[in-house]
Amino acid sequence: MIKIENVSKVYKNGTRALDRINLEVQDEEFVYIVGSTGSGKSTLIKILDGEEVPSSGKAIVNGVDVGSLRFSKVPIYRRNVGVVFQDYRLLPRKTVFENVAYALEVVDTPKQVLRQRVREVLKLVDISDKSNAFPDELSGGQQQRVAIARAIANRPKILIADEPTGNLDPRKSDEIISLFEKINAEEHTTILIVTHDVGIVRHHPKRVIMIESGNVAADLPKGAKI
Amino acid sequence: MFRRFFHHIKEGFYGFGRHIGMALSSASAVMITLILIGLFIVLTLNLYAMTSSIEDSITLSALVKDETSLTEEELQSQIEAISGVDYVEYHTKDEEFDYYLDTYNDPDLRSFYETYRDDNPFKNAFIVYARSGEDIQTIKTALEAIDDIDEVYDGGDNTYTLVEILDNVRIAGGTLVAALCILAIYLIYNTIKITIASRSDEIWIMRNVGAKNGYVRAPFLVEGIIIGFIGAIIPMLVIVLGYIYLYSTSGGSLFGAFSLIYPYPFIFYVALTLLGIGVVVGFFGSYISVFKYLRLRR
Repeated sequence: MIKIENVSKVYKNGTRALDRINLEVQDEEFVYIVGSTGSGKSTLIKILDGEEVPSSGKAIVNGVDVGSLRFSKVPIYRRNVGVVFQDYRLLPRKTVFENVAYALEVVDTPKQVLRQRVREVLKLVDISDKSNAFPDELSGGQQQRVAIARAIANRPKILIADEPTGNLDPRKSDEIISLFEKINAEEHTTILIVTHDVGIVRHHPKRVIMIESGNVAADLPKGAKI
Repeated sequence: MFRRFFHHIKEGFYGFGRHIGMALSSASAVMITLILIGLFIVLTLNLYAMTSSIEDSITLSALVKDETSLTEEELQSQIEAISGVDYVEYHTKDEEFDYYLDTYNDPDLRSFYETYRDDNPFKNAFIVYARSGEDIQTIKTALEAIDDIDEVYDGGDNTYTLVEILDNVRIAGGTLVAALCILAIYLIYNTIKITIASRSDEIWIMRNVGAKNGYVRAPFLVEGIIIGFIGAIIPMLVIVLGYIYLYSTSGGSLFGAFSLIYPYPFIFYVALTLLGIGVVVGFFGSYISVFKYLRLRR
């Protein structure tokens, strides 16, 4: 569960990215976070990922107060929060299999378990046939599938995706959102998708949190008109 | 655990290979620094040996009054009780006369002086050895305070000045070695900084999927150690072969006055020290670099 209580974030240059924001996301929920550029969405993600610390307030994720997390404990915390970005961030010299396996290697997963899990997630994101391909041999949609596979390889409880369809055409975007729905259903992962794309929000209706000027402008339940 | 260890080693070598140009240029810079460090270590240790032997050879001659009422043993125990005295030798006036004659190689001069033996102007003397050159002055004062001692001779101000100069050179050598070590650390630090920048995506991914800082850090530390190790190989050869050559061609002494330390095993210890310094500066250079990078990012 994610619980954001009166969280504000003021950067060193004085920019107030978040202003006493409050929200709650239940386990296994699927939520869109929408808002214009500079509204504070990315800062919210960074706080949830443990990259930034709130200036005030509390961000509790899976019972952990992210703001008071010690530096050395951040990596352990991150194993429960998968993050996917618009630009995929795959390692170009590693194959699809190795890119996904990498996430398991760094947390010392035994080799046998690692192979099994990589095959499992590649099948889940429907890219098993490309497991020996290198990222530059894949389309944007395929690369995003690999990035998603890597993010869920460690079975995180929460998966955050920052503009995951930003570089994709509408058909591929639709496929990627369907994939998130599948992960949500099959892996019981809480999904938070940050997006500008109203089209996908309408095609795959879920709860929508609108952020504007560092505040929650609206929190719309699934099916509400946008 | 072993799998992880070998993984870090493999990744370290991989990183070295991936940035081989940069790594080799850094290793070359380290190499030059280590050659200088090696030269200063050899110089400093030789100076140390030299000053120690000069200090050891500094003695005082305490001439005993002819009309003394004390026995040789009584006087000797008084002198031995002086703080800083290492040991004392007693020379009779005849022995002192012989020593004096021995300073002349010319047989004519020797036979001329020999005629004075019956009218020996020398006095019985105690030769006092100090534990350190620094104690000479206080021992001299203490000897002069003994009633039965007539006169006390030391090597004069020039001896003190020489010891002081050699001491300062020794300290300067040590300081230079330390400064050069810092320079080598800085060179490796910069190389690893560039390596980190070029691998920032990989580091980001590692951290993003929950790799601990130690896991992120380890391959860079290995890479730094490899650079330091490679940078030490040529300096080791230069120092070992150079010193052995210098020793054999000079016959073990420079300018016929300053004796060099015997090369075996001395120079191999210096070579191992250089290897150790190379590895340690490689480790620290990369440690500081990765530490600074990781500290800035949660």
